[in-house]
Amino acid sequence: MNFGKTQQGDPLKLGMRNLYIVPTRFGLLWLAGIGLLQVVAIQLESNGPLLLSFLMLGLFLLTLHLTHFNLEGLEVRSGEPAAGFAGDTVAYPLRLRCRGRCEGLRLRLGPSEPDQARSLAPGEHLLTLPWIPPERGKVRPGTLRLLTTAPLGLFVCWSRWAPPVPQLVIPAPRRGPVGQAQTHAEPEEGARTSSRGETGGDLWQDLQPHRPEDGARRLAWRLLAQGRGAHAKRFAAPLAEAPLLTPAAGIPLERALEHLSAAILRLHGEGASYGLVLGPTTIPPGRGPGHRDRCLEALALAPRSL
Amino acid sequence: MIDRPPSSASRIRQRRPASAPESTSSKARLLQWLAEALLIVGLLGLQPTLMLSWVAIGLTLLAGLKLLEAKRLAERRLVGLLQLVCAGVLGGLQADLGPSLLQGLAVFLALAGLLALEAGQGPDWRLLLRRSLQVLMSALPVALALFVLMPRLAPFAPLSDLGQGGAQMGLSESLAPGNIASLAANEEAAARVSFEGDQPPEAADRYWRVLVHDRFDGESWQTSPTQPKTAPGTAPAPTGRGFSKAQQLWVAEASGLKAVPWDGSTLPLGRELRINGRGELLHSGRASQRRFYGLRPGQGMDGGWRRIPLRPTDLILPAGMNPQLEALGRSWREAAPAAARLALAETWFRSRPFRYNRSPGTLPARAPLDAFLFERQEGFCGHYASAFSALMRAAGVPARVVSGYQGGTWVQPLAGAGYLDLRQDNAHAWSEVWVEAEGWRRVDPSTWIAPGRGGGLRAAQGRGAAGWLERQWWALDLAWGRWWLGFDREGQEALLQRLLGERRNLVGALVLAAVSGGLGISVSVLGWLRRRPEGDPPRRELERALAALARRGVIPEAGETLGGFSARLEQSEPELGALLRAVAEPYQLWRYGKGARPAREAQLLSASLRRHRRELERALRRQPRRRPTP
Repeated sequence: MNFGKTQQGDPLKLGMRNLYIVPTRFGLLWLAGIGLLQVVAIQLESNGPLLLSFLMLGLFLLTLHLTHFNLEGLEVRSGEPAAGFAGDTVAYPLRLRCRGRCEGLRLRLGPSEPDQARSLAPGEHLLTLPWIPPERGKVRPGTLRLLTTAPLGLFVCWSRWAPPVPQLVIPAPRRGPVGQAQTHAEPEEGARTSSRGETGGDLWQDLQPHRPEDGARRLAWRLLAQGRGAHAKRFAAPLAEAPLLTPAAGIPLERALEHLSAAILRLHGEGASYGLVLGPTTIPPGRGPGHRDRCLEALALAPRSL
Repeated sequence: MIDRPPSSASRIRQRRPASAPESTSSKARLLQWLAEALLIVGLLGLQPTLMLSWVAIGLTLLAGLKLLEAKRLAERRLVGLLQLVCAGVLGGLQADLGPSLLQGLAVFLALAGLLALEAGQGPDWRLLLRRSLQVLMSALPVALALFVLMPRLAPFAPLSDLGQGGAQMGLSESLAPGNIASLAANEEAAARVSFEGDQPPEAADRYWRVLVHDRFDGESWQTSPTQPKTAPGTAPAPTGRGFSKAQQLWVAEASGLKAVPWDGSTLPLGRELRINGRGELLHSGRASQRRFYGLRPGQGMDGGWRRIPLRPTDLILPAGMNPQLEALGRSWREAAPAAARLALAETWFRSRPFRYNRSPGTLPARAPLDAFLFERQEGFCGHYASAFSALMRAAGVPARVVSGYQGGTWVQPLAGAGYLDLRQDNAHAWSEVWVEAEGWRRVDPSTWIAPGRGGGLRAAQGRGAAGWLERQWWALDLAWGRWWLGFDREGQEALLQRLLGERRNLVGALVLAAVSGGLGISVSVLGWLRRRPEGDPPRRELERALAALARRGVIPEAGETLGGFSARLEQSEPELGALLRAVAEPYQLWRYGKGARPAREAQLLSASLRRHRRELERALRRQPRRRPTP
């Protein structure tokens, strides 16, 4: 079932005013079954089918309430969503507080398929729902549909809610050309703490024992082949060579941002330092996960035209 | 803000839940298969000559096939519904205690399967079964209110008479004792009857008539095919079976005969019963299945069938078939009233050396009764009844042979009403002669020969534990029949009459009130059960304390421990914080302490926690309504 007013506000507390409930097709078939058993009972003057048909009618009337109970009193609020990439499946966190046991809850964000039914005990629950953001930026995940048919599938009870907390969506990484702005002379952050002062470039200058986080790119393969153990190359390059990435000229901005996204991930993976210039925003060269996240966030929030 | 490195995007993709919303729980599958198996077992007892049996078989097979191939939720739901309908149809065909239990279990399993389908993979077996029982029990008040109070309709079309099923053992429409060399001992059950107030008739009066053989061909006694009209004054009760009024409640095993045992003086209850002019009680139900029926007191009418005028066939005796017998009968014709000829016959039998013998050997094909009366002079009840009846016809007294059961074993079960147990061994034949001003009188010549044979009560002898168990089960079955089949349209009418009296127009309001009352109670109980905290008693006290705080907006922060929460609360609200600590600390010590946790300790702890929790609630009530989160 997918109609009804989409509720706003955070948190959303489900109750009489924002829950919808109608019989399912199975519920109508159930009523037909009751009718059939009534005919059998009357014709055979038999108590068995008569009691069973009344029992099924009782269940029908009862599950109207039980299905409603599943969602009634449920409090939903948005969690703090982590960043994700456009066009990829990302996880949107939700905090649910159930007043009582909540059976057969199905959640569905946007046009995705509803997930499997789950039963929640009374108390707080943190759930993550997958969805695919179509574009970058601070994106709200669309309409959340909370739906249940438990306990017998005779009724479907649902509510629609627009979670207000947006999720940061980074342009999807895509290989392609990126531009480079004029390099700066001032030393970058990481270099100041480095004993050598300058790191980066193509030629490695030193070796250190290989750590798993160094990755395969920095492994000294020749030494390893010679049986001298796993070592990681340390690169040192002139500071002036730390690139200041900028959207490539001549291609649409959105596409250029996707290229930048891929370039930042690549440079981060190589352990290189880099900076970013997006119109008026400039992020000086640096490295490390914090730096990378700052750059990606700038990409996500870049104005539509620079 | 970005707490997940973007390089983990690939990992997010992997963690995407397997998008299979339609895949259904394995518990549901198991439950549905169990229900299906029970239904198939139930099918075994059906009579294949019935059309409705085939409907039940078809529905059950359909449900089974659907279950085999169903993958989607909607299809599996359909299986559940089909199974419920099957159980209902089976219930209409077989209402005995055993099948009813089977059907009830199948209904429960089918419902549990539907519940498991909706609940997904989550809940465990105990939770699932408990929930199923809860839902079923909550629907019962409404169902029972409707069942008891909802006025019932009459059948749309009269029940079709589906004819006689396969031949069953027991009595036969033709009685030719001369052809039977020996009566085999037969302990098969024939019928059971319970009496109002546990008062069975005197042993000498325990004659349960079934068939009347009124045509004699010189060798065997037959039941004439043309049935005399229904006896006057023996019309069944106008509606329903009304077992509540029954003086005798019978269960007759399948016999292949339309005629069922009765005592000849009561009146039938229910439209399916009819007494014909010969004094046979005919049941329109399926003769190939067990039949339940009730008889009400005859109110001194003693069965109108006894006085139905004679028919010429009641005197026919083929001449020359048994010449000695005919000559003896003719010699008694001088005695004027029929009663006097009867006395002559009794004297004659008593003065001859007749012996009762269950294995007398066969009689010659020519003049068999002559051979019995004047040469062999030994035989069983069939011999005496047929020879005596033929003699009376020869003497000019209308006579006929009746076959049925005599005696029976009184069984007093551990619980419930006692009943008289009739076995095929109790089969008996006796005579009826027409006496002016009295009508048909029962005469049992066997009692002249072997007084111990007539009315002799067999002790409820063993056949071991199995026999004992069987008798207990039959007592339950009979009680079930009285209670379950007894509540029919007439029983309901009587109940409504008692409840409403003259204000029958209020029946709609009564049904509505009962249904909404039942529904209201069930919904509130289930709502309370749902909100009740889960876990052991100390845990429930803790949850209640936290819930009381949460109602005032005092909520632990994400990741905060219980100790941290009470410490934080203590800073802003010293009183509340201290009270929460008084609940939280003993609980944590008990929960996470080393060693076993005896039940007694849990009890003491929850009592003390309850005290503190109530104090906390009182303190909260004293606080003003506004409550910022500390």
